[in-house]
Amino acid sequence: MNTQKIGAVLVVGGGIGGIQASLDLANSGFKVYLIDSAPAIGGIMAMLDKTFPTNDCSMCIMAPKLVECARHLNIKIIPDAKIEGLSGDAGNFQVKVRKKARYIDAKKCTGCGECKKHCPIEVADRFNQGLTRRKTIYIDYPQAVPAVYAIDKNNCIGCGVCEKLCLAGAINYKDTDIVENINVGAIILSPGVDVFDPKVYTKFGYGIYKNVVTSLEFERILSASGPFSGHLLRPYEGKIPKKIAFIQCVGSRDPQVGKNYCSSVCCTYAIKEAIIAKEHSKNGLETTVFYMDIRTFGKGFEDYFNRAKEEYGVRFIRAGVSKIEEISETKNLILYYENEEGAIKKEEFDMVVLSVGLVPKPDMWNLSRILRVNLNNFNFCRTSEFIPVDTIRDGIFVCGTFAGPKDIPETVAQASAAAGRAMALLTESRGSLVAKKKYPDEVDVSNEKPRIGVFVCHCGINIGGYVNVPEVVEYVKQLPDVVYAENNLYTCSQDTQKRIIEKIREHKLNRVVVASCTPRTHEPLFRETIREAGLNQYLFEMANIRDQCSWIHMYEPESATEKAKDLVRMAVAKARLLAPLKRVEIDVIQKALVIGGGIAGMSSALLLAEQGFEVFLVEKENELGGNLRHIYKTVENRDVRYFLNQTIEKIRANKLIKVYTNARIKEITGFVGNYRTKISVGKFEDEEIEIEHGVVIVATGAQEYKPTEYLYGKDSRIITQRELEEKIFNHSTTEFFNDKTIVMIQCVGSRDNERKYCSRICCSQAIKNALNLLEINPDANIYILYKDIRTYGFKEELYRQAREKGIVFIRYDDAKKLELQTENGKLKIKIFEPILKEDLIIDPDLIVLSSGIIAEPNNAEIAKMLKVPINSDGFFLEAHVKLRPVDFATEGVFLAGMAHSPMTIAESIAQAQAAAARATTILSDKKYYAEATISSVNEELCAGCGMCGALCPYEAIVYKEKDGKKISSVNEALCKGCGTCVASCPSGAMTQYGFTKKQIMAMVEAL
Amino acid sequence: MSDYKPKIIVFCCNWCSYAGADLAGVSRLQMNPNFRIIRTMCSGRIEPEFILTAFKKGVDGILLTGCHPGDCHYISGNYKALRRYNALKLLLKEMGIDDRRLKLEWISAGEGARFQEVINNFIKTITELGPIV
Amino acid sequence: MSEFQPKILGFLCNWCSYAGADLAGVSRIQYRPNIRVIRVMCSGRVDPVFIINAFLRKIDGVMVLGCHFGDCHYLNGNYNAEKRILAARKLLSLTEIEKDRLYLDWVSAAEGERFANLVNTFTERIKNLGEIKINDGTKEMLLAVKDVLEGERFRHLTGVEYQVTEKENVYGEKIPVEDFEKKLEQILYEEYIKARILRLLQNNELTIPQIAQKLNTALDFAFKCVCSLQENNIVEMKGIRNGYPIYSANKY
Repeated sequence: MNTQKIGAVLVVGGGIGGIQASLDLANSGFKVYLIDSAPAIGGIMAMLDKTFPTNDCSMCIMAPKLVECARHLNIKIIPDAKIEGLSGDAGNFQVKVRKKARYIDAKKCTGCGECKKHCPIEVADRFNQGLTRRKTIYIDYPQAVPAVYAIDKNNCIGCGVCEKLCLAGAINYKDTDIVENINVGAIILSPGVDVFDPKVYTKFGYGIYKNVVTSLEFERILSASGPFSGHLLRPYEGKIPKKIAFIQCVGSRDPQVGKNYCSSVCCTYAIKEAIIAKEHSKNGLETTVFYMDIRTFGKGFEDYFNRAKEEYGVRFIRAGVSKIEEISETKNLILYYENEEGAIKKEEFDMVVLSVGLVPKPDMWNLSRILRVNLNNFNFCRTSEFIPVDTIRDGIFVCGTFAGPKDIPETVAQASAAAGRAMALLTESRGSLVAKKKYPDEVDVSNEKPRIGVFVCHCGINIGGYVNVPEVVEYVKQLPDVVYAENNLYTCSQDTQKRIIEKIREHKLNRVVVASCTPRTHEPLFRETIREAGLNQYLFEMANIRDQCSWIHMYEPESATEKAKDLVRMAVAKARLLAPLKRVEIDVIQKALVIGGGIAGMSSALLLAEQGFEVFLVEKENELGGNLRHIYKTVENRDVRYFLNQTIEKIRANKLIKVYTNARIKEITGFVGNYRTKISVGKFEDEEIEIEHGVVIVATGAQEYKPTEYLYGKDSRIITQRELEEKIFNHSTTEFFNDKTIVMIQCVGSRDNERKYCSRICCSQAIKNALNLLEINPDANIYILYKDIRTYGFKEELYRQAREKGIVFIRYDDAKKLELQTENGKLKIKIFEPILKEDLIIDPDLIVLSSGIIAEPNNAEIAKMLKVPINSDGFFLEAHVKLRPVDFATEGVFLAGMAHSPMTIAESIAQAQAAAARATTILSDKKYYAEATISSVNEELCAGCGMCGALCPYEAIVYKEKDGKKISSVNEALCKGCGTCVASCPSGAMTQYGFTKKQIMAMVEAL
Repeated sequence: MSDYKPKIIVFCCNWCSYAGADLAGVSRLQMNPNFRIIRTMCSGRIEPEFILTAFKKGVDGILLTGCHPGDCHYISGNYKALRRYNALKLLLKEMGIDDRRLKLEWISAGEGARFQEVINNFIKTITELGPIV
Repeated sequence: MSEFQPKILGFLCNWCSYAGADLAGVSRIQYRPNIRVIRVMCSGRVDPVFIINAFLRKIDGVMVLGCHFGDCHYLNGNYNAEKRILAARKLLSLTEIEKDRLYLDWVSAAEGERFANLVNTFTERIKNLGEIKINDGTKEMLLAVKDVLEGERFRHLTGVEYQVTEKENVYGEKIPVEDFEKKLEQILYEEYIKARILRLLQNNELTIPQIAQKLNTALDFAFKCVCSLQENNIVEMKGIRNGYPIYSANKY
């Protein structure tokens, strides 16, 4: 019997999670089948207008990944598909997949849209949440992947017009469902979620009152490609709203509708929508958020919340809305609510947005039965805190919202983690099923006169709304060497890539300029495109007319247009001088350095070692374990000690992992693929070791804040949560639990003036400890004094239990500070009780401070050595808060665990596995292809003065002898391409490819 | 005088200030449009000749931007930019060009608002100085 | 005062109804003199736009007479004529012009008498309805109907209705005629309102409440139609007035 594992993975669901998992797998040697039940991948993220907390345009950051998926040689996208059966076991599954008839041949359809123009039948558009209608032959959104139309057979009258009009001959009315057996080694589930249907709350009148919308509908309303072309109008009759209310927790935290969990994302997305709505409105818009607790627990979210209040003037009211009434003449809405003082208030609004929660898709139960994976009480996939992306079934992994409500970065991290778990399972078959990309032979353009093609992007209305794009195109056409110019709605969309290739061939273009967004995100995409057309990828230049023009000059369209013309002219001037370049191949040392031996570092190390990579695990303490050494039980009551010991044993037993304890990083030199690191080992730094490795994972962890407030350290009856947990599980101090009254104070060292961020885990930790205390001493009176209770996700259940068991929750805020005093040796806490509206005095026997998480102080040192950034709170700053949560901008360096931000054990493990998977995309290949824009010496001109060598921080310039003369020479592998040497060369011998003197001067002179 | 639109070049390094400029865009921070950005990989790449030629060609002001000290993606390129900048300032004085027309600022990838502020202030200075002669 | 003599136009197909009319003549059957006849080869040739043009020229009534079902010289021209004329009547019912001014029936080559009777009855009916009222208001309405009739959607749907409801569609299935008619009715209403809005916005910049008031339609429906026009770049937003966007027709 052939026991060889199959080097292919099936990814179920093509939202951002499925996309990330597919890319990581495909980029590290596995064949991927990506199936989606919809006609296009993209999931919910594709429907979003902006993403929190940076207000990045959702489609803009997602489009490059969509396109990469679409054009990846080793990713096969199967849309309109679902799983019907499964046989086999981990390593070798047979999956029966049914692909619904699309009635359009995906290979022939060019996505031109002519069919759509003439189709006579319209139906509600699912993508726009039914706010607009689409034709029965349709494509979900302009950047959809695959960029292929589909026929909605249920609504089609079968008139046949599309077939007559389709020049590509892509229409096939005889199409049938196809059932196909796919052979894979592992399965990753990322089917995503739906949003809650608020019709069950009759009190809100959703579905009856037209100006009551869901948050996802509102997202579409805000979107430039949405129903009202990006104008903020209310859906009834298109009036410009002046007052919008957001109602939180619609379908979340409500046992009455079977949703006793927190959807985790609604608070922050409501804040985002309120901010964006205000930005949309030129004549002033009032936005009010009605909430129970604001749960802005993610990295940078609290700051976002504060800015919404202070800078944007979003109004927040802590109140539940009991009912909505519509005024029949104006269609305005009256909200009835009870404020914190208990008074019933009513207020009129133009429009109401229901912040609907996330719910599992209806067919998940069926899917779980076919795959034999377990669901939890709420029909989400059941996972365990210590193996967060594993299902109960070997070889089937899960990521994203199907494993519980979560935001995009967490989904992306879990996706990489799930990919990593699949890689580990299938390591032996890596590379067995992949194909290599073949590019057309590069056309030699060195002897040709430049023929430049310019593509100017509307970016929906992001550019086109402020810059007169057709005018720019007309202008560009007159520039020297420009032989072709056109505008595109979205230059980044897949169909435009095809178009660019066509135009290159049609007009024999040998240079391409795209005027759109920033090269930092989109340059790789366009380079790939021209490469496919046979051009060297460096014959490309971008003009940034969105981020650095249309978006920052929104009120001066004429100046913005002038500026766009200048920027394109400058880009064209540079493009005329572009020359083909080659990327240097670098050997990769297939070993990893993991900094930090806490749970994150250990998890990363294990996942890498399981794939056969050597790992150096460096821990500064004298034992492994980090913060886990002080934690006994998880919030789900799992035994942390046991898990920790097991993990350490696994690390010790693994021959590929070399552990250094009591070790400090002294120096890191080198670059992706080739690092050399000095470590001093031992308490007295008595040994110095030098190691070589290809990647670095930073997992330095974080610390519990040692409070200076509330008499901590001055009175033994005042302790932190961590100290309490030690005591609870250390039975020698049982007398301690005779304490009758225990007060826990939340947000100590978090959400205050010094540390504005939320430490995310303290609410759950406090409730966990409180419940454990009650187990030991059922008579205890426990008070938890809080600002907002942030038991997000399924931790909400814990909060419910706590209230049920009589734990008293009292809110305080910064305006009404807590007062703690000692009177005759007794502790006294004064707190203003918002419901009773009077001061309450509690005499606690024990006070537990829920102190926050603070960054590791030596992060700064590591950051300097690795040349990676840290944020103002001292945590490491990832490459992109949404889509690259465990990467640094610097290639080859990754991030995991609390070094990133405060997080739970499960979240740390997921990130750690993600970082390992991301690292594997480099380690799995013996070669790394470096940048091409490096320095070079003209040996004729070099006078051998050595100025350049003295300036180079990478020691990439060395002397060599040539014809009896000493001259400089560049080590191509070491050069990182800053160009500093070039700027200092007195004899003009140095140059930097892609940024030559002539090119930059041409840009200066074009102005 | 109010119609005067100065010509200003802003050199940005790829990793910090260019990203900061992008962030300003993403955050929709509005600013005076009279500047044009040229991207280099590092502020250390900027040659004195670029600047002198630009002034010669009638550019009214040049703003050099790079990563904050210690943040340079290329370790120390920004220090080299600083040294060149100081030398250039002296040279400009000798040439009779008001040295306020050349400025160096550090802007990180996270400082969109700072980018806006720096730009607006610099353009204000140059507008007050008027066209270069 | 002389009695009102309506102007009536008849479209007759060459093979049946025209021959029927001839037969009436050969048989010297006397009928009302108000009708003027245009001969076409098949009732399927009668473009409803002709009819609206006739109304706009103050023709008081239009008869379309073809072969009986099954008799059509061109197999199913009359079926298609039926779908089209009935749809045109539906559109007329949205205007202030009575839909009964348009009449469709079948006359065979042997039915001289039937022809004469139909003409007499129709003439009488139009007499009772009185002179067609063409003023600025009704003219706008008829022009909008004409826009719809000239439009691709109308022509396409009425063109395929017979095929997909009576024979088979491209999937080899039959669409129930009631379903089709229901869909068609909704589409015609929407197309009519869209045509009216577009005409209004050619020379005016209006808000949704203004549009709804002028057309006497619901605010939300007017908005829906404007959105659809805007999505197809036919209408654009020009600015804001009294808290509402103002729209006008895109000049391109």
